[in-house]
Amino acid sequence: MTTIQGEGHIFTRFDDEMKQLHSTVVGMGVLAVKQLRDAVDTLRTEDTEKAHDVISNDTKLNQLDIDADEQITTIIAKRAPVAKDLRELIAVGKIVSELERAGDEARKIAGLTIRFYEGTSRPPNEEILRDIYTLADYVSGMLEKSMSVFDDLDLNGAVEVLNMGLKLDDQLQSILRHLSTFIMEDSRNVGNFVDIVLGIRALERFGGHAKNIAGHLVFIKFGFDVRHEGIDVIVKSIRES
Amino acid sequence: MNEQVKSDSSNLLEREVVDNPDFVTVGDIAVENPAMTCRDVNVYYADKQAIFDVSVDIGRNEVIAMIGPSGCGKSTFLRCLNRMNDTIEICRVTGDIALEGEDIYARSMDVVLLRARVGMVFQKPNPFPKSVYDNVAYGVRLHGLARNKSELDDIVEQSLKKAGLWNEVNDRLDKPGTGLSGGQQQRLCIARAIAISPELILMDEPCSALDPIATARIEDLIDELRQQYSIAIVTHSMQQAARVSQRTAYFHLGKLVEVGPTNDIFTKPIHGLTEGYITGRFG
Amino acid sequence: MSTQRQIVESTLARRYARESRFQWYGRISILIGILFLGFLLVTTFLNGYKVLLQTYIQLEVDLTPAQFGGEITEESIAGANYDGIIKSSLRAEFPDVSGRKNRRALYGLISNGAKYDLRDMLIENPAMAGDIRPIWLLADDEVDVFMKGRIDRNQPEANRRLKDNAIGWIDRFIEQGRVEKRFNVPFFTRGDSREPEQAGIFGAIMGSFFTIMVCMLLAVPIGVAAAVYLQELAPKNRITDLIEVNINNLAAVPSIIFGLLGLAIFLNVFGLPRSVPLVGGMVLSLMTLPTIIISSRAALAAVPPSIREAALGVGASPIQTVLHHVLPLAMPGMLTGAIIGLAQALGETAPLLVIGMVAFIVDVPGGPMDPGTVLPVQIYLWSDSPERAFVERTSAAILVLLAFLVALNSFIVLLRRKLERRW
Repeated sequence: MTTIQGEGHIFTRFDDEMKQLHSTVVGMGVLAVKQLRDAVDTLRTEDTEKAHDVISNDTKLNQLDIDADEQITTIIAKRAPVAKDLRELIAVGKIVSELERAGDEARKIAGLTIRFYEGTSRPPNEEILRDIYTLADYVSGMLEKSMSVFDDLDLNGAVEVLNMGLKLDDQLQSILRHLSTFIMEDSRNVGNFVDIVLGIRALERFGGHAKNIAGHLVFIKFGFDVRHEGIDVIVKSIRES
Repeated sequence: MNEQVKSDSSNLLEREVVDNPDFVTVGDIAVENPAMTCRDVNVYYADKQAIFDVSVDIGRNEVIAMIGPSGCGKSTFLRCLNRMNDTIEICRVTGDIALEGEDIYARSMDVVLLRARVGMVFQKPNPFPKSVYDNVAYGVRLHGLARNKSELDDIVEQSLKKAGLWNEVNDRLDKPGTGLSGGQQQRLCIARAIAISPELILMDEPCSALDPIATARIEDLIDELRQQYSIAIVTHSMQQAARVSQRTAYFHLGKLVEVGPTNDIFTKPIHGLTEGYITGRFG
Repeated sequence: MSTQRQIVESTLARRYARESRFQWYGRISILIGILFLGFLLVTTFLNGYKVLLQTYIQLEVDLTPAQFGGEITEESIAGANYDGIIKSSLRAEFPDVSGRKNRRALYGLISNGAKYDLRDMLIENPAMAGDIRPIWLLADDEVDVFMKGRIDRNQPEANRRLKDNAIGWIDRFIEQGRVEKRFNVPFFTRGDSREPEQAGIFGAIMGSFFTIMVCMLLAVPIGVAAAVYLQELAPKNRITDLIEVNINNLAAVPSIIFGLLGLAIFLNVFGLPRSVPLVGGMVLSLMTLPTIIISSRAALAAVPPSIREAALGVGASPIQTVLHHVLPLAMPGMLTGAIIGLAQALGETAPLLVIGMVAFIVDVPGGPMDPGTVLPVQIYLWSDSPERAFVERTSAAILVLLAFLVALNSFIVLLRRKLERRW
């Protein structure tokens, strides 16, 4: 497929505005990934102070979300974009929401640290948390991948992210099964179990946002909405385009 | 260096279309039950070819917008549809253009009759230097469409009403049409065109000389007229094309690059040239 | 460091000076034009206005029955020797004048044509006959010129046309209040004459009128039709190109050539009479046709194409488009072209000389087939005559011609204003 994607716009200001928006979004992606990694680190190092930092850092992400929305509104109002420009703006509007929500999920993980280590309650054992670390690695990798696709619009990457999303479900199943063995082993673990499940649920949502972003990227490039399609249909459509 | 690379990519795309004699229009050129069909239309000015193998249908009760950069041939093509190009001596048209299945370039087709069936509205409002009434009545009288004065009065009133001008001019029907504002003049020209009940109305950049409010009125009017007429409009305003049309045709250097539903053209055009033009990346 | 502001400021004075200089060039040119025109008009007027008055001398005319062969009847009045009557009346006025030469000078006080005036007077009013009556008679042109102060009595006698004795007689008439300047009716009602005091402009006016009417009736319809066809309907090919080039060339042909053409074709081939306004009008229409065609085409071309498109767009045929829309809009421009052509024709002399309209014709033409002359030719003829009194007549004729041109132009301007439409 040939496209004039690299072509400069007649209004150079329009190009500048789009670039600015792009870098805002990339910045948000980087920050969201960092938030998750930091949050998981606090869990690992039992550093509740840093966990508080992670939580307060989430407001940065919220602010960027608002900034990006403002930029989008301004561009639409001023330039009346169409076609790819329009799709990109609409999709970017959604992507920033996904990133903002992904940031919220990272905040929930930091919240786990505080619940586990600030109170007097008994912290969970390392074994149980290991599942969270692997899952966090996996979903932050998904978001990183999505953001790199956002940069170069190479849809092979997007397909990869969508595939990772499918595998995420399988992983979740096995982690939950693993967790239940811990409870059977030692019923004292039940106290932390709810929190752990909620953490896993947050990470799963984080991966879900990354997957949605990949779907938006397909929309930017081809103009059809893949969020509610099966992966086979998506891959087929991409191949066909 | 980056600039060089950029301009190369669109040039390449352009060459693919322009240099390819077998280039086929992207998208669906045909519609069901068309008012007019054009197949392989070529237009030459002397030795210079202005339109290359353009094939497209104009649907019934639809507005088809023709867009493209200056000099892409969209106006030239439009003027073939009621043989307005006949007045230019060096202009030659080949291919088939059929109105309700009748070849309009056939020997048996009378050009006066054709132009009565295919009305036209021009870029610059061009009312006759006559009264508002006479402007609308002229074509009706010319073709003898009214049997008596009261019928003529009726047609004039109905046409002005359809053109949304009646309330503004009913107290000055005997005043010169040239004394109206630009937007009113253009609506007068539309009233003049619809007074003779054409089957198809061609509009050649009808709003290019008007301010935004007058433009909005005309666009509104075009949408209403669609209930009764088929309309082909050439416009250099992509937003206008997006607003008033159901189908859009993108012309580039004399070739029809892409035709499709307006909604698709403006959200996900298929051809790169269309995309580049409507997003303002060249043109 | 000089800023942009300083650089611009430093050039401003020079730029404005250049502008005002240019304005002054324009003003001076217009001033010179006005001066020339004013000079022309003023001198012509100063020379010409005197023609409005003409000197008359009151003479005790002997109209006793003896002058009519004893019996006053219609025939005798018509056949009387009025020349003799006037001469004897003059002799009676100045009985002491003797000698053939002096007598001839005395008779010279009264116009040669006065006898005809006198006869006409009596035929019209036979009751005047039978007595000696004071009658105002037209004075000779020399007397007229003297009375208008254009003969200096202080000059040596040899340099004057009017000799001392004649001045003496006139002085006596003046003393007795028997010399009067009256409104010059004959000038406006008569044809040409060898005698300046008898010469009138009316013949030339009528000649010009008929000539221009013929010219207009021929040239305007033909010219307009040709222009419409060439501009709107004709296919563009070699033949029409050739025609176009030739029309343009024709406009540059010297007018006398048209006269020769008229002579060769209208007179020699068709055998039309000489000196008649019909032929004059035909020749002039040949001459004005190119002007009318070219200007009419320009007027047609100036009609905005949008109007044509509008008419074609509602289904008017090409002819209907032209007749309903283009022609009415081009009409003012075409009229201007026509008027320029006709004004040119009105002032034209050369081609008319060739077809014999320069002949000396006394009678006022009553129609386009009567021999006649035209104003510019009349001016040419009079300006060529030696008598002093023709000077003022020449100027007066020029003024009449100018008045005609102004009238023609105003008429067209009015017509234009009436027809002109905005688009």
